[in-house]
Amino acid sequence: MHTYEIFLKKDGRDEYRHAGAVDAANDDLALVMARESYIRRAEGDRLWLVRRDHVIVGDRDFVSPNADKPHRHHDGSAVAARRKASREESTS
Amino acid sequence: MSLSDRSHAIELILAFADDKHLMGQQHAEWIGVTPFLEEDLAFCSIGQDELGHAALLYELLVDEDDEAAIDGAIDALAFGRSADEYRSCHFVELSTDDWAEAFVRHWMFDLADRLRWEAVASSTNEALRDIAARVEREELFHRMHADGMLDVLLESDEGRCRLRAATEKMAPLALAMFEPVEGETQAVADGVIDRPFAERRDEFVAAVEARVGPIDWGEPPSQDGRRVRSADWAPLMARMREVFELDLEARW
Repeated sequence: MHTYEIFLKKDGRDEYRHAGAVDAANDDLALVMARESYIRRAEGDRLWLVRRDHVIVGDRDFVSPNADKPHRHHDGSAVAARRKASREESTS
Repeated sequence: MSLSDRSHAIELILAFADDKHLMGQQHAEWIGVTPFLEEDLAFCSIGQDELGHAALLYELLVDEDDEAAIDGAIDALAFGRSADEYRSCHFVELSTDDWAEAFVRHWMFDLADRLRWEAVASSTNEALRDIAARVEREELFHRMHADGMLDVLLESDEGRCRLRAATEKMAPLALAMFEPVEGETQAVADGVIDRPFAERRDEFVAAVEARVGPIDWGEPPSQDGRRVRSADWAPLMARMREVFELDLEARW
């Protein structure tokens, strides 16, 4: 048996979204099982299956170091906070 | 929709519908106990399809106009007849708690089912023809499931052995699916079906043996034109009617 990850797409404008996983003996049966396990109520009209052991996985040690780089966040909140503080200082 | 203008096809439709109905129930009883979760959903879904097909076929025999009356009449046909009024074959009546047997029955039933639907695909009865076109999308999936599982199971010696044993056990009962029913000759003459179902028996046998090899088919049971029920029918029907009988007047 292999584990397959299921991706569904409902509408032309939507992206494929991960829906879950099934265990199946081969690709053909995985399609059959995915259909019964995840699209029984027409949750999607397009289907991708990816065998889990074909997924390229980034190791956590490789991925996580970037969590300590707040300067790469560019939503402006830090600047806005500084400007607000400085405004309050000048009016007081 | 009504078949009243083709009354000699009634037994034929009834046999078809009763087989579908009982097969659906048998499959549904595997919910929660098939070997793995995905199979559980797939197998019971196939059973649910069969029940849906049975309802479509029963509806052909109903002479009512409004929806509630149609539903009531379908229920009466499905659950309210006496044993000798059913036309199910013994193949679908058999109770089994052996997964190999249940799976093999699904495979064999859907093989035969394909031949049955083909017989009505160009029927002179428009309603029947429409149903045949509509159910094929689901039947296609049933066959994909059965054939896909067979491909995998036949790869191992143990799988092959167990499948052959289960097929041989089911074989005589499977042959009895093809037993002629009353009015069948006339139904062919009227063009309701294109030929007697029994004429497809050899084709069915060949299709089964193409997968599991030559088997001993044994002797089909005596069903007297499907008028005689097997020992497993009454307990099966009691299980089916269990909730229905709690309150016969209830509106569902």
